[in-house]
Amino acid sequence: MAGDDLITAVIVDDHTAIAAGVRFWCAEAVPPIELIDAGDRLAEVWTGPGAGADVVIFDLELVPRRPDFGELRRLVDNGRRVIVYSQHTDDATAMKCVDLGALAYLTKREGPEHLVPAIRAAARGEPYTGPSLSGAIIADDSPDRPRLSQRETEVLRAWFVSSSKDLVAAKLNITVKTVDTYITRVRIKYANAGRAARTKSELVGRALDDGVITLAELNEPVL
Amino acid sequence: MTPTGEAVEEEATRARLRRGLRVATLLVALAIVAGLGLANLLRHLDEYGTPLAQVAALGLLVAVLAGEAALLVRRRSWGRLRLPAVAVVLAASLLSYATLPDGRTSTTVDWIFGAANWVGVVVLLDRPLRVTVSFLLAHELTALLNVLVLHEPSRAALARFATGSVTVIGFPLCVAVVAGLLHGLSAAAAASRAEIERVRVAEAVAAESHRRRQQRFAELSATTIPLLEGLADGSLRPEDPQVQRRSAIEAARMRRLFAETDTVADPLLHELRHCVDVADRRGVVVELDTRGQWPAPPLAVRRDLTEAVVVMLATAASKARVTVTGVAGLVSVSVVADCGEVGVPSPATPGVRVEALHDDDTVWMEAQWQATT
Repeated sequence: MAGDDLITAVIVDDHTAIAAGVRFWCAEAVPPIELIDAGDRLAEVWTGPGAGADVVIFDLELVPRRPDFGELRRLVDNGRRVIVYSQHTDDATAMKCVDLGALAYLTKREGPEHLVPAIRAAARGEPYTGPSLSGAIIADDSPDRPRLSQRETEVLRAWFVSSSKDLVAAKLNITVKTVDTYITRVRIKYANAGRAARTKSELVGRALDDGVITLAELNEPVL
Repeated sequence: MTPTGEAVEEEATRARLRRGLRVATLLVALAIVAGLGLANLLRHLDEYGTPLAQVAALGLLVAVLAGEAALLVRRRSWGRLRLPAVAVVLAASLLSYATLPDGRTSTTVDWIFGAANWVGVVVLLDRPLRVTVSFLLAHELTALLNVLVLHEPSRAALARFATGSVTVIGFPLCVAVVAGLLHGLSAAAAASRAEIERVRVAEAVAAESHRRRQQRFAELSATTIPLLEGLADGSLRPEDPQVQRRSAIEAARMRRLFAETDTVADPLLHELRHCVDVADRRGVVVELDTRGQWPAPPLAVRRDLTEAVVVMLATAASKARVTVTGVAGLVSVSVVADCGEVGVPSPATPGVRVEALHDDDTVWMEAQWQATT
């Protein structure tokens, strides 16, 4: 499933227009992504072609105003790589999904320029942090939040407000790659905090192996 | 003297008058109860069936007068104690009449007939006239019942009772009427003072709105008026993109100006929404996103924070992203739009910093203000 193989994703969303739109974005992507539409039937994520998909694109609110955190936890606990795709932008929901082990949290206002890279990152087992999730992280003032460096906060804030990594890089005089590194480091710190989940520990393990973050930085006390 | 000074002076005068009346009434009542009443009581002490009851009745009246003296010294009114005090006075009357010898009603032996009425008036002096009248009637009724029920109602006894009533009711009533007049005058004065106050407030509000309108007009005159004049005299052509751009900026400024006077929880966001609305109508897709909290910045700071949004949204070609973030007291308004070359507005307040970044057609401007907490 990794490498140059064709990425497959399964989408669970009760709005057919959303599924159709995502299918179009996936087909237009280079290289294209194969999309399986499970409609609003969660069972199709667990059985049939959906069970083998690399990435699950999950509409958190199949029942309006009742976010299904339980299903998200079951998917993550079974090693599925989940992108939460929600029409809500409230920070608490976003942070909760991250804590449960979702690799990405995107709002439906964030279009293909974020969803397609998020699917590719998730297929590799990597996180993707969109502008709205960045906003949720900089506004996070929960007592057990990880300690972020000033530069990390600066990068996240700039990414949230500008929604363009080129602009962030130009503004802070760094490369786009460095921008990505800072954003990933923040996600690793969050993956290392809160609830234990397979996707999260894999993230932390790989980040330590790649030297994105050091053990000392991970063990810094909370603010 | 200031208007409030006058009002205070008037109020002080009225308070002195009311207090004087209270003191005078208390002195009269004291003279009648402790002088006349006591003298008559002692003179006829051997005629009463139970002399102790008469002495107790006198004691009750003196106690009520002592209460009034204490309240006067502390400049307080009877308040919740008023009803119990009236009950004590009526109880003293009943006690005295119950032990009065036969056929002695309205004579010097009936000392309480001309004494309890004054004590009641003392207690009820600052109440409406009808309350005092009701009390005096209750007092009369007690005496009348005594004549009719306990004793033989002879023609002579009734005649004596009637003549006695003239002074017993008449004099206290005069005092009560004067007190009522004083009371009414105070109420009327207070009402007219409130009316004058209301008119003054309305005048002040009108003057302030006029001043603000003139100020707003002055603010617009520097930029909007020349544009309108140019359009009117034909020196500016509406089809000129530069003129269209200036018009869009002025439209957004005017919307912001109108939104500034609205009373809303978050004026900064409210004004931004109005600016965004103008761009929306031009067909520009605008995302407005916010994170964190911020205090309400002063008006001048808000104008500096929103000016970049006004200028850029007016010139954006197709899309723009406007964000407000408030983290640790740092308020930042950022706008990214495809508006090509655009002048960076310079903030008028020293605490606001504006940064701009150009990347091909995309411009990113950010205005920041550190709130001092």
